[in-house]
Amino acid sequence: MKILIIEDEPELLNSICNYLGNDNFICETATNFHLAIEKISLYEYACIILDITLPGGSGLEILHELKKQQKADGVLIISAKNSLDDKLQGLKAGADDYLTKPFHLSELSARVEAIIRRKYFNGNDVITLNEISINISQKTVEINNTPIDLTKKEYELLLYFISNKNKVISKNAIAEHLWGDDMDLADSYDFIYTHIKNLRKKLLQANCTDYLKSIYGMGYKFDIH
Amino acid sequence: MKLFAKYNRINLAATIIVFLLAAIAFYFSLQYVLINQLDDSLETEQAEIEKYVAEHQKLPEVFAIKDQQIVFTATTSNNIVKKHFKSIALVDSIEKNKEFFRQLTFTIQVQNNFYTAQVSKSLEGTDDIIQSVVIITFLTILLILLVSYFINRVVLQKLWKPFYTTLHAVNNFEISKQKQITFQSNNIEEFSSLNKTLEKVINKAQQDFTSLKHFTENASHELQTPLAIIRTKLDLLIQNENLSQQQTEAIQSANNALQRLANLNKSLLLLTKIENNQYEQKININLKAIIQTKLIQLNELIQNKNIQVGVNLEEVNINMNNDLVEILLNNLLINAIKYNTQGGKIIINLTSTQLQIANTAQTSLDTTKVFTRFYKVEQSTQSNGLGLSIAKQICDTAGYPLSYSFNNNFHYFTVTF
Repeated sequence: MKILIIEDEPELLNSICNYLGNDNFICETATNFHLAIEKISLYEYACIILDITLPGGSGLEILHELKKQQKADGVLIISAKNSLDDKLQGLKAGADDYLTKPFHLSELSARVEAIIRRKYFNGNDVITLNEISINISQKTVEINNTPIDLTKKEYELLLYFISNKNKVISKNAIAEHLWGDDMDLADSYDFIYTHIKNLRKKLLQANCTDYLKSIYGMGYKFDIH
Repeated sequence: MKLFAKYNRINLAATIIVFLLAAIAFYFSLQYVLINQLDDSLETEQAEIEKYVAEHQKLPEVFAIKDQQIVFTATTSNNIVKKHFKSIALVDSIEKNKEFFRQLTFTIQVQNNFYTAQVSKSLEGTDDIIQSVVIITFLTILLILLVSYFINRVVLQKLWKPFYTTLHAVNNFEISKQKQITFQSNNIEEFSSLNKTLEKVINKAQQDFTSLKHFTENASHELQTPLAIIRTKLDLLIQNENLSQQQTEAIQSANNALQRLANLNKSLLLLTKIENNQYEQKININLKAIIQTKLIQLNELIQNKNIQVGVNLEEVNINMNNDLVEILLNNLLINAIKYNTQGGKIIINLTSTQLQIANTAQTSLDTTKVFTRFYKVEQSTQSNGLGLSIAKQICDTAGYPLSYSFNNNFHYFTVTF
């Protein structure tokens, strides 16, 4: 699947491509408004990651252009302005989601996957990864066709891990994904530990392979290699 | 004290003193003149008596005349009294009551006999005049006081009207609301100069305020991209499988610091945006429902500290921006959890007039600083000291005062509707 990243900051562009550009995605990039318009006219993308402030024009105009050309590409806006107006305008103009800088790459990845799922499977899909299958619309998880009972947080965690499989996710990223940024870091680490411990226990009880690896001092990895 | 009351007071005091002094001077000079005149007429009387004696060689007959007495007393040449005037109380021969008289005493010789003559004239007329003078003086003072009081009241109030208009305009002015202040023009030099100066000062302050606000907003926005680069680079860095323990610890520290920086920046942006009234859209919000949802969301944190939550919620609807209500409740509730003691209590009371969130605590916060930006009880905490400032700003913008008090080992945060 091809994704297009429209971002004028080369270092950020670089990071995003590096993280997302694995076996699942092929990343293309555009660093200014005109390049972006050119690319969206020529190709179709599973998802477009779009920075609102661009040299040469606004990201919102790109959204309008997509609408005009009747393209169905999924769009995730990344903006430095955490402003409600931008968010509302962006979503109104056809964007699927909105992420404020500074974001974690794992969060970006999870959002992009969610957009693609919604776009291509109408949200009615089932993610299957070896013996694990997750029904997104019903929010249920089965291991080897046996349903397991997860709490809301455990379910969110599992989905987050699967969207970032084989990647180390920092505790900060997990905390922000689960609780936003309201919590003290010290507190949230305890909670993460508890939730992950419970999730792993439930997965193992259902005879699931132990994919969840703790990476000392940094975070966790859902390792399917 | 109002300026014109003070002016009036000084003015009245001066007027009264001047009038009293004038009245006293008038009283004495009038008395002097009138008594002189009386003395003159007594001397005329003496001259007439002496003329009569010289012509007839006998004393004139004495008639009782109103307000006048003449008495002759025989005396010897040894007891001759010098001619002199004096004021004396005598019994009036006709009216039979005691009155003040002016008396001239002199010695008169009829052939070889000496007589002391005492000619007295009543001071009653003089007293009457003086009495009327005093009465007229006091009435005049009273009248002048009354008139000047009303003139001052009416005239000064009219004269000072532009001043009060200006004062009212300045009082109602809020720098955070981007409204131009306008002063009524007037033709009094002092006031128009005051207005001009104020206009200049306020415009300058407004400009400074705006540029400071823009600076904060721009600075915060500009920081977001570098923060994003650092965060994504750290995210990439941890993917490396060959990191040493030392390196991972360094990355984790950097990640934590970055998180704090990002949170701080986000809070500052939020404050600026609330100040800029970027959360204008208001909807009708069921506070009870929102609080219940929030408590469910925060349940983990509450459980973690074994906190008992007591709620007493009435059905209350308020008209406010939805996002701001969420942030406000979040900040207040998270504070109540974060700064609670292990096994402490949170009590939430919601009535139609107020929302009160109380939590167990050891010591009172500094009531003068509690809503100040970057105020922290312990410098070491991870909090950025902006949570309560944001809550306060939200309440101020919505027009619902937020207050803090400490009582019986409880912090109370109260929003009054």
